[in-house]
Amino acid sequence: MSSAETAAGPARAAAGTAGPLESPLKPRLMRIVEAWDETPDVRSLRLQPVDDGPPVRWLPGQFGEFSVFGAGEAVFTMANSPSRGEFVECGFRALGKVTWALRDLAVGQVIGYRGPYGNSFPVDSWRGKDLVFIGGGIGTVALRAPLQWVLDHRGDFGEIVVLNGARSVADLCYQKEMPAWAEVPGVHVVRTVDPGGETPGWDGEVGLLPAVFERLGLAPGGRIVVTCGPPVMLHYLFQSLEKLKFPPEDVVTTLENKMKCGLGLCGRCNVGRLFVCVDGPVFTWARMQTLPRDY
Amino acid sequence: MTEPTLQARTETAAPTWKPQIAAIVCNWCTYAGADMAGTTRREYPASVRLLRVPCSGRVNPLFILKAFEQGADGVLVSGCHPGDCHYVQGNYFARRRFAAFRSLLNFLGLDPRRVHFSWISASEGIKWARVVGDVTRAVTEAGPLTDWGRASSPAQVTLPEPPAPRPQPAAAELEAVTGHVRELAASLLREGKVSFVLGWAPGPSPGQTIPAFIQRPEDAATLVFDTHSHADLAAFLAGPRKVSGKVAVLVKACDARAATTLLAEGQLVREDVVLVGVSCPGMWRDDRLAYRCHSCDGEVGALCDFTVSAAGVQPGALPTGAKRATGPDPRDLQNAHLESLPAAQRWAFWQEQFADCVRCYACRAVCPMCYCGSCISEQHRPQWVPTSIDGRGNTAWNLVRAYHLSGRCVGCDECERVCPANIRLDLINRRLALELEQRFDYHAGTDPEGAPPLATFRPDDPQEFIY
Amino acid sequence: MGTPSAGQIHRLGRDQLASWVDALLGERKRVFAPVLRRGLRVLRAVERAQDVDFAPGRTRWSPKEFLFPRTETLFSYENRDGVPVLADPPADDVPRILFGVQPCDAAGLVRLDSILLQDPFYARRRELTTVVAIACSEAAPECFCTAVGGSPAGQEGVDVLLAPLETGWVVRALSPKGEALLAPRRGGWETAAAGDWEAALEQAGRVAGSIGRRELPAAWAEKLEQSFADPIWDELARRCVGCSICAYVCPSCSCFDVADEGSDACGSRCRTWDSCSFRLFTQHGSGHNPRATQPARSRQRVLHKFAFYPLQHGGRAMCVGCGRCIRSCPVGMDIHAEVVEVMSGRPEKEAGDVQR
Repeated sequence: MSSAETAAGPARAAAGTAGPLESPLKPRLMRIVEAWDETPDVRSLRLQPVDDGPPVRWLPGQFGEFSVFGAGEAVFTMANSPSRGEFVECGFRALGKVTWALRDLAVGQVIGYRGPYGNSFPVDSWRGKDLVFIGGGIGTVALRAPLQWVLDHRGDFGEIVVLNGARSVADLCYQKEMPAWAEVPGVHVVRTVDPGGETPGWDGEVGLLPAVFERLGLAPGGRIVVTCGPPVMLHYLFQSLEKLKFPPEDVVTTLENKMKCGLGLCGRCNVGRLFVCVDGPVFTWARMQTLPRDY
Repeated sequence: MTEPTLQARTETAAPTWKPQIAAIVCNWCTYAGADMAGTTRREYPASVRLLRVPCSGRVNPLFILKAFEQGADGVLVSGCHPGDCHYVQGNYFARRRFAAFRSLLNFLGLDPRRVHFSWISASEGIKWARVVGDVTRAVTEAGPLTDWGRASSPAQVTLPEPPAPRPQPAAAELEAVTGHVRELAASLLREGKVSFVLGWAPGPSPGQTIPAFIQRPEDAATLVFDTHSHADLAAFLAGPRKVSGKVAVLVKACDARAATTLLAEGQLVREDVVLVGVSCPGMWRDDRLAYRCHSCDGEVGALCDFTVSAAGVQPGALPTGAKRATGPDPRDLQNAHLESLPAAQRWAFWQEQFADCVRCYACRAVCPMCYCGSCISEQHRPQWVPTSIDGRGNTAWNLVRAYHLSGRCVGCDECERVCPANIRLDLINRRLALELEQRFDYHAGTDPEGAPPLATFRPDDPQEFIY
Repeated sequence: MGTPSAGQIHRLGRDQLASWVDALLGERKRVFAPVLRRGLRVLRAVERAQDVDFAPGRTRWSPKEFLFPRTETLFSYENRDGVPVLADPPADDVPRILFGVQPCDAAGLVRLDSILLQDPFYARRRELTTVVAIACSEAAPECFCTAVGGSPAGQEGVDVLLAPLETGWVVRALSPKGEALLAPRRGGWETAAAGDWEAALEQAGRVAGSIGRRELPAAWAEKLEQSFADPIWDELARRCVGCSICAYVCPSCSCFDVADEGSDACGSRCRTWDSCSFRLFTQHGSGHNPRATQPARSRQRVLHKFAFYPLQHGGRAMCVGCGRCIRSCPVGMDIHAEVVEVMSGRPEKEAGDVQR
């Protein structure tokens, strides 16, 4: 669409149409129907459209722009699987203006949502394969949707290992849900905290996530690794994966570049030729290796 | 962008209009005083909204700015009498800040009837009632504030342009200085005394120079000094732009003042930098002598390790004998003209200037005194400076920038030179600098050990503007 | 003089150009044209032709702000009994003309189109806009349109091209929009003499010849992309002070921020210009910043223009060579010289010694 002729097409259609235009950045109103704290600083929200329009649709791994009017917008991956799609759920840590404002809202209050944006986890290509989910801290939120999807289509997949880590026991997300995940046949849940983050009576692992992963002794053999976590964790995890000879195309993660529009317009999430918001956020490690280190 | 509340308030500026006044008061004295007025059934206008803070020393002038931005017609700030501060010194510091901020608002043409300060003790319920009455009357006379962030009518101001006190220097003189600069730079690098020499080199546009980081002795030959060696290289000595390693930096008289202020503010370790003063004949902007240079004799001051002039390199900061003819500072003449105008016209003048601001933050980026790792304009909780590139956001930014430099700006005028919108930031900085010079006898950039004027106080500081 | 018809080239006297502008204003079209204001040459909505400065030379800002405003309301919101009510901004359907912009600026709009036409606000303004460009009769030292496939008489994105003659102008429509703009005037205008158009082009050719800066071939894009990790970027951008003048004067830079202005009670969600030169542009909430240093941020602008964008958009650079960023940079960052330096694979020898 780089020449004036082709570019003028949609513009011409819009012209002469008097009356106000609607911005693609205008959100849909959603009511908070449930809100709870996962950890002292990670909060989850469950949302439903205020209007009677069609239900919100998305794929596991896609994200939305969630907004508090007066504070602005923030990007979160939908934290639940569309197979449990009667609500939209998101989880976030209060870090900036929007997330703090969001944290202060109560059940019944209304926020903005637009999306879904981006690509999704290639869950279809995982059929019949063994899966390892490795989530560090708030990163586990991004893995919950594909994990739920996989659990809801349990028969389609092989053995499932969930490795959920955090700095400390208190910081571990989804502690209430993990027992239910572990009850599903063929699902093995490993909880781990960084050294020093354990509490008396802690019965999970202690150690940095990449080290704990290595201790699990999982062999590549067609196993898919799905991971999300802070950049430093991914850095060391990729080193471990390399050591264990996991093929980069079998390792999937999501990039967390800062985004504003979600449409590939605002330029913020640009990494080389790509925009994380439209070409991602889900990338294989193999594809990441072709990108400039701008993430 | 119009904030609906503001719009609604403007529309209701009918005969029934009553001013909205934000009263920012300290907890211990004035709030108690207001309480006293209430319990003794002293009547006063209901136009004030009280904002209680622990101490008048807690009142960041940004609070005043925010109040106006959000629709207040007037602001009253009140605390304990000098000597009565619950925290001993809070109101003394506050008094200096208020003096600076008030002078800034006055200079920008905000109606002086809109901003008031008072000391009211816990027992002065009567005084509270009187002050609120006086303030309400004054703000009522001033009327609704409808032009915050915009000019209500064209300013039509032409600033006087004074003749230059001296001609352009001879090319030979500049070439001689350039030669000596190159020699010194090469020898400092050769002897390993520094890892960088920071100087000026020709830029991509004709007659332009740009900052150059010279690492190898043979590259010293690219350095030049001429009447367009504008960049204040002290900007690379602190904060996010700080160059690492031991560096020699070429400084003109104004840049040396910047380095001095960085020392005074603890941003620079003297031993980490070799200051090379350059005897300066004045910088030229197009065909005129830069305004700041009219009143400057080009002397680099006592701080430098070397001084370079056409005569050669002198170790230390011996007088260079370069004293130039000086004249009155054109910025003062232009400011005097601005201040002779009605406040409303001055407000329109500045709003027209601010309207062209695009918030590129080049003013901040080149300022040697803007070394904060995170600028207040980058902070969002709370959002002191709206991000929008419009009248309100631009007014907030320009006020905040100027105020944060009060008592610190050394008048290198780089902000004004690089401003792509030609905003006369130099005039604002100059006016504030003079205010602080006159009030507190503080001359920024002259004393590497002097306390910045807003970081200190005297119990007998003038307070003629406080009720 | 035959009956004037579509496609015909006309010759205008100096006064005729001004009366054309006045006539357009009389038709309630909004005309943005260069004016001198506070020592700046800027594009502004004019009220009468006599305010227009038809002299050659670039304006301080590019015309992009008339299609992609510095700050624009996307919608407003108001909290009514706990439920936000959103409202679209009022429509603005006045036809507008960018009159007297440079051909590089028109080409810049085509670059903007390739990104922002997806946005209905931009698209409608674009459709309502007719671009009347003036062929350049001189080149500034920072100009390099010819290095990126442009020309002082470039036609890309131009609806009507005006070119100066010794006395007066030649004018030619280059698109249906341009035809529509000229059609009502043709009756009153003289047909250009044989050779007038050629003379104008020849003049533009002379201007092109005066641009000494070398070509930046499209084929460089891939190699530039591979230079991402080259330490030369730290060298080149050491002096970058991290303002956003380059992005804000640029006719094709289109990055923006989205932020709310107002309180939780009422306000607007706004789109505002933003720049890759700012630290916060890419900094995560956690503090992690993929572009943690100023040279990394400076590199992004160059590579986006000359590598990432062309590799996704048929090889055309995103830069149109207007030279504004070079001219206005507080420290003389020179995007053309940077590309040349990186490609030549050697460190910059002398700060000012760029290949012109």
